[in-house]
Amino acid sequence: MTANDAGETIVSGDDVNNGLSFTEEGMDDIEEVVPAAEASGDERLAYQGLGQRLLLRPEIVGVLFAVFLYLFFWGATRPFGNAGGLATVLDVSATLGIMAVAVGALMIGGEFDLSAGAMTGAMGIIIILLVKETGELGGAGLNYWIALPLSLVIALGIGWLNANMVERTALPSFIVTLATFFVLRGLKLAGSKITVDQIQVGRADEGAGFEFWRKIMGSVWIRGDHPWESRDLVYTVATTIGGVLLAGAVCLFAFRRREKLNPAGVPVLLAGLVGIGVGAWLTHSLDGSDWIPMVVIAVSGVVAAFGLGLWRLAPLSALAPKLPTGVLAPLAGSLALCGAAIGSALAFDADNEEDLFFPVTEQGLRGLLFIVFAALAAGLATMAVSRARATSPGTRALATMVVGLTIFGMALFVQSQSESPKFRTQLFAILSLAALAALVWSVMVSRFEARSAPDRDADRTARIVAGLGLAAVLIGVAVRVLFSVEAEIAAEDPSRLAKFSIRVVWFVGFTLLMSWVLRSTKFGSWTYAVGGNKQAARQIGVPAARVKTQLFMLVAFAAWLVGMLLAFRLNTIQAGTGNFEEFEYIIAAVVGGTLLTGGYGSAQGAATGALLMAMAQQGISFAGWNTDWRFFFLGIILLVAVYANGAVRRRAEAIR
Amino acid sequence: MSSLIELENVGKRYGNIIALSGVTTSVEAGEVTCVLGDNGAGKSTFIKILAGVHQHDEGEVRLEGSPVKFNSPRESLSSGIATVYQDLAMVPLMSVWRNFFMGAEPTKGVWPFRWIDEGEAKRIAKQELAKMGIDIRDTEQPVGTLSGGERQSVAIARAVYFGAKVLILDEPTSALGVKQSGVVLKYIIAARDRGLGVIFITHNPHHAYPVGDRFMILNRGKSLGNFAKSELPRDELVKMMAGGAELDQLTHELENA
Repeated sequence: MTANDAGETIVSGDDVNNGLSFTEEGMDDIEEVVPAAEASGDERLAYQGLGQRLLLRPEIVGVLFAVFLYLFFWGATRPFGNAGGLATVLDVSATLGIMAVAVGALMIGGEFDLSAGAMTGAMGIIIILLVKETGELGGAGLNYWIALPLSLVIALGIGWLNANMVERTALPSFIVTLATFFVLRGLKLAGSKITVDQIQVGRADEGAGFEFWRKIMGSVWIRGDHPWESRDLVYTVATTIGGVLLAGAVCLFAFRRREKLNPAGVPVLLAGLVGIGVGAWLTHSLDGSDWIPMVVIAVSGVVAAFGLGLWRLAPLSALAPKLPTGVLAPLAGSLALCGAAIGSALAFDADNEEDLFFPVTEQGLRGLLFIVFAALAAGLATMAVSRARATSPGTRALATMVVGLTIFGMALFVQSQSESPKFRTQLFAILSLAALAALVWSVMVSRFEARSAPDRDADRTARIVAGLGLAAVLIGVAVRVLFSVEAEIAAEDPSRLAKFSIRVVWFVGFTLLMSWVLRSTKFGSWTYAVGGNKQAARQIGVPAARVKTQLFMLVAFAAWLVGMLLAFRLNTIQAGTGNFEEFEYIIAAVVGGTLLTGGYGSAQGAATGALLMAMAQQGISFAGWNTDWRFFFLGIILLVAVYANGAVRRRAEAIR
Repeated sequence: MSSLIELENVGKRYGNIIALSGVTTSVEAGEVTCVLGDNGAGKSTFIKILAGVHQHDEGEVRLEGSPVKFNSPRESLSSGIATVYQDLAMVPLMSVWRNFFMGAEPTKGVWPFRWIDEGEAKRIAKQELAKMGIDIRDTEQPVGTLSGGERQSVAIARAVYFGAKVLILDEPTSALGVKQSGVVLKYIIAARDRGLGVIFITHNPHHAYPVGDRFMILNRGKSLGNFAKSELPRDELVKMMAGGAELDQLTHELENA
């Protein structure tokens, strides 16, 4: 056999492996493999509607879960839904949330910090020891202007140390920071015993400058101290404007743009808006349950939506209504379940508060059954509408209309049944609004063409409108919960005592800042990169070690901040403060959509997770249940959220 | 005008192991130099010397005429040598544009309020990919959802955009299917046509031959020669790659078995 033959053998062998050997001529065929760059290629992406896009956000599970829990406890407990309950929940969520956001960022970067919880208490103890004067070894007697920066430097030093130990030893951060946790725990206990001979360190107020810094770190806003008679007017105006803007944004998201704007729609839209304004004013000045403003708002809402459509949205050509069983069956089922809900509400005694079986009273069982049936009905209704969506616009409009009317029927029933103002007016108002939304929606889908292709310009407009709407609603709600009116104070309404701590401002500010940092800065981008693939990030020039060090120091900063908030609020810090809370931070971050393995998550998600956990914790105690169950529920929440988050993420990756 | 990169009798030892010795070749702007070799032939060592991961201890590497020794990957990178490794240096969960600009994001504003110019980054990423003839559906897509060839092409486009003069490709086609390999070879040509010197490392002569201008064959850490395309017919390359006499021996053994 010649050498040449051997070469041939290999060629054919290669052919088997690669199927093709490239020749100069072969290169020409490849030309067709690469389509022209001009064909921007977007046609290969199936269009995703607003709902689908929202369902792919990392924090969606946390948000939906939080809404569910809020509604649940709002129905089951008295304080939820009034300013006092909200203040408590926010207060609990604030310190947890600040830590969860920082720990979440660290987890996105692929590391853990188990010393974070112990560090919060340690920082509180350190600041008090730095400013304390009394006792033999009682403290350093510094003023706050020196002690605060000094304690911050100590905190950042601990963070830096954590990061360096992780980098140097190349051990998992889980182990290294576990060690730091025990060191801190020992130091806190032994340190407080040595210095003040107690297992708590007290009197933060002994330091000079305490009053000034307490305003920033520990002040409290008591609702009853701030009467403002125009509160309800501002609330009504802001939430109405916000609601209208949000509804408009949804329409801009969901429907196709008109080729050319039609100015004839503008006066119609304006007329509708004026009508809504009049309706809102009537609600404000009349009793909340009066039917005249409702009719005015409903009619004006339809007019305004129609005007908006006439102005900007593409009209629909064919309705083609038909009712296949796929839509009819869940619709009928939904109606039947509503009937079951009403039936169960009538069957049980609403006033019997005796225990039927733990932990439910007859009254509780009645509420529970009602909620379960209503939730199932809502599920079937959603199913019917989504199936109708796939059938034809006419069917969709019809199904939405039926659902709207059903909701309104339920609203009337709820109003007729309950004596408590919470259900009588608040739930009635919410359900009526939902019914109104369904009504408007049904008119819109029967008149205008749903969007079926991406439209970045329309998305941008809609996003701005939605942002403004959300801001208006939040301002309205904030005004409502922060201010009191003379009548409430005179009537000694318990909600006048609601205390809003300044730590909530820190929480919100920190979350917004971190959300921006993670999304839009180099540091944020690099955080995702080192968490997602550290090796690759390093190869391509991301300073991975520096990013991780900064992340550990960020957690230390958050722990310092929380330590200060605790010290200024409580005046005394226990040696055990913060121990074992690190797991709650991790749970909050994970519930909010952060991936345990790094590279995925968001600050707003972690904050939502913290809010959710605070709601669960406070809800259980408000409901009068044994608070020992708290951890049990946290475990369940974690399990459900992790599973749901995994499903959402897999879907997100598969779809994109 | 001297070559972009010249290597003369370059060698590398790890302790008593001679990983590479007597390697001589050159890379010209607008040309493709193929480095061929089987597993263990010294290809990785060759790349690592040029990428600054390891330093050579014999011979001379000249960059545009002046001798150099890269002490770190960053040094090599800042001298205009971009290496696209087999594992691609990408973060699968992050979007194409973020991966494209990873580590060198364009920013707006002043410190500490400096943020990534997202619109600009997306625009440039899309445009640069298009220039290379790469058609990406959406730059917001996570890299993890791209195919192997698409990822490779993003990595190449990234290196080209960030001003690489020399592009080192480490076995870019080895994990790809037939069509995908073809696509990547197209990008190699595209990079060459934009005036880059390309070092294409592969063990597949059928991928190397159509795109290469110069061939250097490595075997057991030694260079079997450095040829211009005109000096080396295709069959000869295939035969050298396969190890010539060694393969005769192997075929003989297999047939008699």
